[in-house]
Amino acid sequence: MSALEIRNIHKRYGQVETLKGIDIALESGEFLVLLGSSGCGKSTLLNIIAGLAEPSGGDVLIGERSVLGAHPKDRDIAMVFQSYALYPNMNVARNIGFGLEMRKSPAAEREKAVRETARLLQIENLLDRKPSQLSGGQRQRVAIGRALVRNPRVFLFDEPLSNLDAKLRMEMRTELKRLHQMLKTTVVYVTHDQIEAMTLATRIAVMRDGRIEQLGTPEEIYDRPATLYVAGFVGSPPMNILDAETTGNGLKLYGCDDILPLPPRFESVAPAGRRVKVGIRPEALRLAATDTPGARLTARVEVVELTGPELVTTAALGGQRITACLPPRTALTTGSAHAFTFDETALHLFDAESGRSLLSG
Amino acid sequence: MSGTWISTRAWLLMLPLLAVMIAVIGWPLVDTVRLSFTDAKLVGTEGSFVGTENFTRMLTGSNFWRALVITTLFAIVSVAAEMVLGVLAALLLNQQFRGRTALRALMILPWALPTVVNATLWRLIYNPEYGSLNAALTQLGLLDSYRSWLGEPGSALIALIVADCWKNFPLVALIALAALQAVPRDITAASLVDGAGPFNRFRFVSMPYLAGPLLVALVLRTIEAFKVFDIIWVMTRGGPANSTRTLSILVYQEAFSFQRAGSGASLALIVTLLVTLLAVAYAALLRKAAGAA
Repeated sequence: MSALEIRNIHKRYGQVETLKGIDIALESGEFLVLLGSSGCGKSTLLNIIAGLAEPSGGDVLIGERSVLGAHPKDRDIAMVFQSYALYPNMNVARNIGFGLEMRKSPAAEREKAVRETARLLQIENLLDRKPSQLSGGQRQRVAIGRALVRNPRVFLFDEPLSNLDAKLRMEMRTELKRLHQMLKTTVVYVTHDQIEAMTLATRIAVMRDGRIEQLGTPEEIYDRPATLYVAGFVGSPPMNILDAETTGNGLKLYGCDDILPLPPRFESVAPAGRRVKVGIRPEALRLAATDTPGARLTARVEVVELTGPELVTTAALGGQRITACLPPRTALTTGSAHAFTFDETALHLFDAESGRSLLSG
Repeated sequence: MSGTWISTRAWLLMLPLLAVMIAVIGWPLVDTVRLSFTDAKLVGTEGSFVGTENFTRMLTGSNFWRALVITTLFAIVSVAAEMVLGVLAALLLNQQFRGRTALRALMILPWALPTVVNATLWRLIYNPEYGSLNAALTQLGLLDSYRSWLGEPGSALIALIVADCWKNFPLVALIALAALQAVPRDITAASLVDGAGPFNRFRFVSMPYLAGPLLVALVLRTIEAFKVFDIIWVMTRGGPANSTRTLSILVYQEAFSFQRAGSGASLALIVTLLVTLLAVAYAALLRKAAGAA
């Protein structure tokens, strides 16, 4: 049974169409991340699910019941906001229990649920404090507690970690993952952070310009991006995209002499003379020994940046540029030419005009 | 060296303002204190020292206490009504609807009018012969015959309070609207998801943001209402039968109508003291509210 189903959702503000037909069905216990840059429509979609905005067309079903026109409180959802949205005049316990209080839940039952939630989130010692007396991370825990305490059918998260610093964000990410694994809740989570998406999601919907660019598991999104946009959006540093042309059994890169062998899986979809974009992830590249057979890219190293766990190398390949993530102790000289290689399975091909993967059909 | 120069320059720059303040506030205040201990008339005699006689006479006479009751009644009722109306108007103007911007601009109009213009308008509305209030109420069947709203002791103060509210509730509404717009959208959305209805949303979401600014409005309006003079002077001159004679009107009558500068000054000082006490109490309240926030 679908916990949440979104059917052909459209949203227009005057002449501007921010959602152009979104279809997603979510099974119970799934963690769906809506991933995309600012203005792609992901928060609008979340607000439509929550009932904070009405769609211009389409339907939203929660527990196989259409909730169009239903008040947010009657949708069996809970929401966690980017700004935490805690009630500043109430203490933590009352903030967490407010939804139950509004639903006229008996005081004893409410108190028990609040204590249980606080224990789960390790904020029992904060129950008497006001939000202004809490750190960012503690406030976010309270906001999550407020959602958890009601045990709704679907949890909605609107960029909940964006206001936290990098270290805290990582801790809270792990915490959210732990909670999801423990409680098996159904979650729709909006973020523009691809690391959050990759680490938390059971499925990711990459959104762009009001449409879903690709919907799949994190592995599918990362290993088999359906479009150039997805390939560029997911992964840090982003996938190298090189202009090339097929030559029958090879790929001639523009602006340099290198010809890459065409992996057999592309032979039927890449006839000779077709303009394509070649995608190779930076982490798939490694330095080639002189006698390495197969694909080779000879590029002049321009910049080397040691991030700690890896050496991020930017190199010029004719008129184009590639980035490679190499082991930290790799000996490289800036200004000199080095040969890079990769497994043929790491090669992606996209149509130069449409930007779609040649394997996506 | 440079510190001294900055300090000297600051004093030099402030000097003209200080001179004006001493001339128009400082000196009259000192002179009022001096006058309050004399039996000076407004014209003709400098008066001689009478000690605290003026104060005792004022505080033991019935005029002062009656005026104090009228002033307090006027201040409490008009400010309370302005607060309620202002918040209701702000809640309405905070909703999304067509023509909201025009309505917001229109609402400021009564407050922007000079008090004398407002008072004259309301005198016309209350006019016993051709006033629109009488016309409207008789046409609606709520009134049998025309009444002199400002001419009857029973209705004059209420009529004044209505006129004062009409002029001043927009200020409260503006302050409340600004506060309501500061309520984060996410908190309102969270309360919707939590299941709070309109009343609970007002109580738990809007009120914490409204309380501080409303307290400021309350302080300003109470002090102003306590000092009220112009609207009453234009509409009733304290009548009929002194039923709208507030403290400020009493001070004016004592000092200028009866030309008793000495006792007028003592009364003015008593009013100043009362307003100062109010201001101090409110300042403490504001500090407490700020501390709680």
